Amino acid sequence: MDRRQFLRKGAIYSGLGSLYASTLGRLPLFGANSSKNNLMPFDLVAVRGGRPVEMYRRAMAELGGMEEFVRPGQSVCVKPNASWDVPPERAANTNPGLVAAIVEDCLSAGASRVFVFDHTCDNWQRSYENSGIEQAVRGAGGQMLPANMERYYREVPVRGGRRLTSAKVYERLIESDVFINVPILKHHASTTVTIAMKNLMGVVWDRRFWHRNDLHQCIADFCLYRKPDLNIVDAYLVMTQNGPRGTSEADLSRMRSLLVSSDILAIDAASAMLLGHQPQDIGHLRIAAEMGIGNIHLDQLNIQRLSM
Amino acid sequence: MPLYHLRKIRILVSLVFFVAILFVFLGIALPLIAPLGDGLLQLQLFPSVLRMLALSFGTAATGFVLVILLTLLFGRVYCSSICPMGTLQDMITALSRQFRKRKTQRFRYTSNRKNLLRYSILAATVLLWAGGSLFLLNLLDPYANFGKFSVSLFHPATIWINNTLAFTLERFDVFAVAPMSMHALPLDVVAVSVGLFAVVGTMAAWRGRLFCNTICPAGSALGLLAGHSVYRIGFHEQACTHCGKCERVCKAECLDSRAKKVDQSRCINCFNCFASCPNQGLYYELRKKSGPVRQPANSDKGKRQFLLTLAGGLASIPMGLKFAAARQGHAVLAGRQQRRHLHHRGGAGSIPIDSQLPVTPPGSLSHSHFTSHCIACYLCVSTCPTKVIVPSFFTFGLEGFMQPRLDFHRSFCNYDCVRCTEVCPTGAITHQTPGQKRLIQTGVVRFQVESCIVVADRTDCGACSEHCPTKAVQMVPYRDGLFIPRLTPSLCVGCGACEFACPTEPYKAIYVNGRTVHQPARPVEDDEGPREEVPDEFPF
Repeated sequence: MDRRQFLRKGAIYSGLGSLYASTLGRLPLFGANSSKNNLMPFDLVAVRGGRPVEMYRRAMAELGGMEEFVRPGQSVCVKPNASWDVPPERAANTNPGLVAAIVEDCLSAGASRVFVFDHTCDNWQRSYENSGIEQAVRGAGGQMLPANMERYYREVPVRGGRRLTSAKVYERLIESDVFINVPILKHHASTTVTIAMKNLMGVVWDRRFWHRNDLHQCIADFCLYRKPDLNIVDAYLVMTQNGPRGTSEADLSRMRSLLVSSDILAIDAASAMLLGHQPQDIGHLRIAAEMGIGNIHLDQLNIQRLSM
Repeated sequence: MPLYHLRKIRILVSLVFFVAILFVFLGIALPLIAPLGDGLLQLQLFPSVLRMLALSFGTAATGFVLVILLTLLFGRVYCSSICPMGTLQDMITALSRQFRKRKTQRFRYTSNRKNLLRYSILAATVLLWAGGSLFLLNLLDPYANFGKFSVSLFHPATIWINNTLAFTLERFDVFAVAPMSMHALPLDVVAVSVGLFAVVGTMAAWRGRLFCNTICPAGSALGLLAGHSVYRIGFHEQACTHCGKCERVCKAECLDSRAKKVDQSRCINCFNCFASCPNQGLYYELRKKSGPVRQPANSDKGKRQFLLTLAGGLASIPMGLKFAAARQGHAVLAGRQQRRHLHHRGGAGSIPIDSQLPVTPPGSLSHSHFTSHCIACYLCVSTCPTKVIVPSFFTFGLEGFMQPRLDFHRSFCNYDCVRCTEVCPTGAITHQTPGQKRLIQTGVVRFQVESCIVVADRTDCGACSEHCPTKAVQMVPYRDGLFIPRLTPSLCVGCGACEFACPTEPYKAIYVNGRTVHQPARPVEDDEGPREEVPDEFPF
């Protein structure tokens, strides 16, 4: 093969490759993340005063609906917080009705499949069941998948990570087209708050490594692997103390709020303020801002604030 | 009803018991079979005795009384139908006979009743028990061993089949079967189980119910009673033609067709003889109606031997008790007692834990209650959803041989779960509602501050507090904006979530020290509901 032949072949193959990527849009790195985020009317939508599902529908309407994030034929991974074996009224897990509404919307937007999972802290079957999330997801037509074994995870590099340079990530999440993160806002014993970034600890196998190797840094590092396409923060019932598991309903404050954003750092910064913290005071938010993971300066953002 | 139907009825009843009890062990919760299995477990002989003692008689004695009445009425039907180990042996016998020549398939009456062996084992078991050690009972009881086989052999096999099915279906995007995690059991426990299985299996394949009539303490105990049973098997003088067909199918080897005698103490009432007799030469009738029963001349010898050994041994009880009391003092987990100066290099997880008392399941009241009532059947081990209960070997010394404990390196006890208290057939773990269980302190949290990540590495961690259901471990400001655990031991239930979650290696910075006597834990206050705090304006 001479040089000319080589260049010609190279050009043909790379052309075919990009054609494949753009038409099918199934390559996770290029496909879903290249959505119309830049064209979105708002960087962050915050709603207060309604029920969780009402507020969610209102916020999504402002952003143009789920169709802006999910295209027909795509597979969608929805990651709530379903980590604890406690009932929904204790608000340690994401509101099950909210998760169900998201699953329904993804399916009506034409998703080929919608699955939900969490690498739980308490026993997985009891947590799935008693959080009410498993039943809600099934009722909405989604799949609640097991994540209790190492075989469901695959090692991936975290490029640019300072402490976390690789992680075993839930394999079906790696293969999914769209990633929707649905944390619940809570106080957290060790990281002060747990919101969207902290919720991603539930998609990896070995959490102990994070705890052993500068927890805040690892939480920020992991965002370099893959940022969710959409973050929806449930702040209807908010655990203000004794988090993340809580000991009773006395730990809760009914804030009746909900936030939506594609910027994982912006939504964490805004949510942290709801709990009365300055974003810069939270280790992983400060580090994430340094690393350019998102925008921590809320005054630079176009925020839609709504009341119901 | 013709007597030859009895065999079919026996097979049916024994299969119901076997399947129902096996399914409880395997965690297969089918609608009708699951409650049936829980109920049938109450009829196991030695567990029912332990249960009666543990719960101070009353309704707890029901199972025991039923078994005794049944035996006094019908003989050792317990051994043929109720005992799952008996049915397991029958299966092995039947299977092994598929591979034998016709002639060697036959059983033969044996006059050697091995009474000395049988009753010595029974006497030794009872004596050790009275002296405070369940060593022999836990090693020899048929139900306990059926449990050991289930947990060490049948349960892993079930998990493997379940997971093969689950993973195959997953490829087709079907998630109807939930995968189960396989947890390794301690090697010594598996070795004992496999060894016992080999012994029982070999004996069953070789000579039917030989185990039941030589080693099994339950078989020997019931054999003593069976001699007095109301209904019993015997030969009709006229109808019997000495054909010997009954003798050839008698897996207890207790039918002497030549002398037309039945050794009642060994007969397990399998009723094979009735099904084999072409002439209706055997009866199963009220003792009185059938006149004086022919008994072997030395039938009382076994009983005398047993009583003699028992009496002799009673003298040694005080010594045994002393021994048991001495063991109680140092039920300390082995293997974690390395000397400090050898391992102390500084840094997270570098400080060995001096001594750590084992934690027994919630509802087990105290180490002494637990060790004196647990028969080591491992039903709690196999049904525990978090798999925190694991068999041990000598953790509780000789008197608590092979009894399980909670292992927080593997998992932790779910705050709201009471499964083990529901299944325990011996009363070693007493029944608890979730509300009661949340107020039991099985152990107390301890913290090695120098071993903690926060102190050693100066980074946040808090995994312990995160998992703590009562906030007995809470994170409080330390320095440089970091948070460090602070303990409120009165709130601790001893669930071990903190110890499990602690990421330090090789030693945990936070761990649970078992309580030898369980204490009440302080309740978590939860009278107020959530506060209403809808923001007037967003703070951003």
